[in-house]
Amino acid sequence: MDLFKVKFLNEAADLINNLEESVLSLENNREDGALIEQIFRVMHTFKGNSNMFGFDKIGEFTHHLETIYDLVRAKKILLSQEIVNITLFSVDHIKNLLKEDKEQNGEVLAMHTHLLSAIKEIIGKFDENKIEHTVTNLTDLTGGKMNTFHISFQPNKDILIRGNNIFYLLDDLLALGEGKAFPKIGNLPGAHEADFTSCYLEWDIFLATSESESTIKEVFMFVEGECELKITCISKDCNSFKEDKFFKEASGFTLFSNNSVVENLLKQANEKASMPADAKLSSKTVLSNKEASNIKVSSDKLDELMSLVSELVTTQARLSQFSEESKNTELNVIAENIEKISRRLRDNTFNICLVPIGSMHTRFKRLVRDLGNELNKEVNFKVEGAETELDKTIVENLTDPLLHIIRNSMDHGIEKAEDRIKSGKPANGSILLRAYNSGANVHIEIIDDGAGLDPEKIKHKALEKSLINEEDKLSKKEIFDLIFLPGFSTAETVTGISGRGVGMDVVSRNIKDLRGDIVVESTLGEGTKITIILPLTLSIIDGLLVKIEHTHFIIPLSAVEKCYEVKHEVFENNFKELIILDGEQYPYLYLRDEFNLKNNTPTIEQVIVVKNNDKQIGISVDSIVGEYQAVLKPLGKLYRSVQTISGATILGDGSVALVMDINQMIKQHSIQYKELAYEK
Amino acid sequence: MKNEIQLEIESFLTFKLEEETFAVNVEKVIEIQELRQITKVPKTPAYMRGVVNLRGSVLPVIDTRIKFGLSQIEETVNTCILVLKIELENDTILLGLLVDSVQEVLELPSSQINPPPSIGSRYKSEFITGMGKINDNFIMLLDIDKIFSVDEIVSVQQTLAN
Repeated sequence: MDLFKVKFLNEAADLINNLEESVLSLENNREDGALIEQIFRVMHTFKGNSNMFGFDKIGEFTHHLETIYDLVRAKKILLSQEIVNITLFSVDHIKNLLKEDKEQNGEVLAMHTHLLSAIKEIIGKFDENKIEHTVTNLTDLTGGKMNTFHISFQPNKDILIRGNNIFYLLDDLLALGEGKAFPKIGNLPGAHEADFTSCYLEWDIFLATSESESTIKEVFMFVEGECELKITCISKDCNSFKEDKFFKEASGFTLFSNNSVVENLLKQANEKASMPADAKLSSKTVLSNKEASNIKVSSDKLDELMSLVSELVTTQARLSQFSEESKNTELNVIAENIEKISRRLRDNTFNICLVPIGSMHTRFKRLVRDLGNELNKEVNFKVEGAETELDKTIVENLTDPLLHIIRNSMDHGIEKAEDRIKSGKPANGSILLRAYNSGANVHIEIIDDGAGLDPEKIKHKALEKSLINEEDKLSKKEIFDLIFLPGFSTAETVTGISGRGVGMDVVSRNIKDLRGDIVVESTLGEGTKITIILPLTLSIIDGLLVKIEHTHFIIPLSAVEKCYEVKHEVFENNFKELIILDGEQYPYLYLRDEFNLKNNTPTIEQVIVVKNNDKQIGISVDSIVGEYQAVLKPLGKLYRSVQTISGATILGDGSVALVMDINQMIKQHSIQYKELAYEK
Repeated sequence: MKNEIQLEIESFLTFKLEEETFAVNVEKVIEIQELRQITKVPKTPAYMRGVVNLRGSVLPVIDTRIKFGLSQIEETVNTCILVLKIELENDTILLGLLVDSVQEVLELPSSQINPPPSIGSRYKSEFITGMGKINDNFIMLLDIDKIFSVDEIVSVQQTLAN
């Protein structure tokens, strides 16, 4: 595929997302002219691009879709639920069309014809009822469909020299609707100082028009950059000149007004604006010449940068080690500087690779909407902390698990409306996605107010599938953890959405792959809260470098609680498998046994107390080397079966150290010594 | 007539395990590294010797002798790591083979490659693409992708689990 096509596809993905998001917002806010404008614009751009790059089918398809929105925009047809549905289907369809290999697929082709005819039908309906609509259209024009804008127009002094005629401009503007322009003469100098080629006037213009903000902007197109322009919608859906007494007076006001009139008008408009909660005002400042300087970078480049930084950190560790050994002060200074710079470079690169969780928002919203329709459940979906940032790789891999959890909540969690009312809940269910930072982790919670999990039911099911034994005594939390086991599903009926028992185990595995953890809390009848705890980044961690025999290991510093020195004999013949540290008992893992390293046992060993959620255990190592910044490297497919090691890192001397997965270690320990696991 | 003249010549890198000579297609060979400290990953079978640092990434190293049922490699000055690229589950991964010594690069016309023996071999014939004949010696040409195929590894994992 050539370069331009790739670029088109990237851009198309963006546009489609944009479109989907706008349509979803529009569904809840159908009168929002700005949104309709935006949808229309996006479609228009998209159509143009598609035709240019030879995606004729998409181009043609979008053209018809665009026609609908053109009609909606012109208020010739009302935005019906049908149109919203068709648009969303079309969005999906276009996504399919963009995958070229699918274009010839029979199913896709059928969908294409089906959608196209549906779209044409809508347009056709309009044609039949044209006359009737035009009549209503007229009433619309004079009715409540007008917006009132305040336009603050401050031309630069030299605007006249550049050959602009401001009065033509104002005429053009006022021709858009009903309006009034008030010149500000505050800057006018005395007659002898004035330069007659300069413009000293500024204008405040009130305009009631059915045109959109962008149309107003278009009037000022040729003086862009030569003026300060600020367009504020002060009153939505109403012609303030007609409805408002003060504005009526103002429209009769012909004298050179002073600022106070304008101020009064603005003040009044603002008061009005703050009164009704639903009439949100869109205020957009058009700052000429100032654009946020964002650039798009392909993620490949970021990955490349990231891996280079990782290599730099590794090399720097080597340099630091070498300079320490060399006892050369000059070299020490250089090494320290390099360390400082590479640390900053590392932090900056991390920052670049972070994306807000809100970037997944649209997909969730769409899912909730579609499922809501399908299951006939009204669900309010809210996101808190959408600005919380995570490494982009994590976000990419998090979407599917989160989608699955939400799907589960919708399907199994939230009850039918009538059941909800019976149990005294509001008829509409609610799902809240909340994200926040906590230490070096990010927590993501999915909270629903549905039926909650029934521990007895889960236990029963697990027994049935012989996932547990009758005599197993499980805490509530352990019971909830059962839902993450492969092959577990409580839904009595398997629906198309969930209930096949492949799901939560996949979710749990995906989260584990991201070095994260997943916790379920639930109260029967009140709802479920699923918390996903994730590391901020996947590539570099702060760790504790330890040694067992000749092998170096890294323990993630975030898991380390305390370190103790312990004599070796404590571990010998310790039948209780408990160790007493600072007067408290801890279960422990003797790693030399665990890892089958049995030579040269030292007389004094180190015990590191590590924790995960509520569990603490001690793990024994030969010696502690110190803190180490570990660049995580995967061990690769061949070592997939090794669960307690999550990766490797390269030490300063070029040898490889293994990174322990403390979560897994504690988990395995509690499987082995279940009853002993020490709950804190 | 033309076709007969065009002989297919393939190049192989030969290496020794104990007294026996094996060969892999040079297309598979990335480089040859000298032996260095290998970090053993706990809870892995003996033939998986561990991992080494290959210019910043982690390279798994296989003790080929154990894998082929011979005794563990004695490290000598000739011992080295053959870095190969192999296909595993539709992915290409790098893998290090610990071998006693690397010999030479051979060019073998296809006429000199015989099909693998069906019986009497101590090595599974499915891992051998053919026998190369040089003078009067035979060299086993290894199908390196098959040797480390998923089934093999899965079976190892299962034995571990039991």
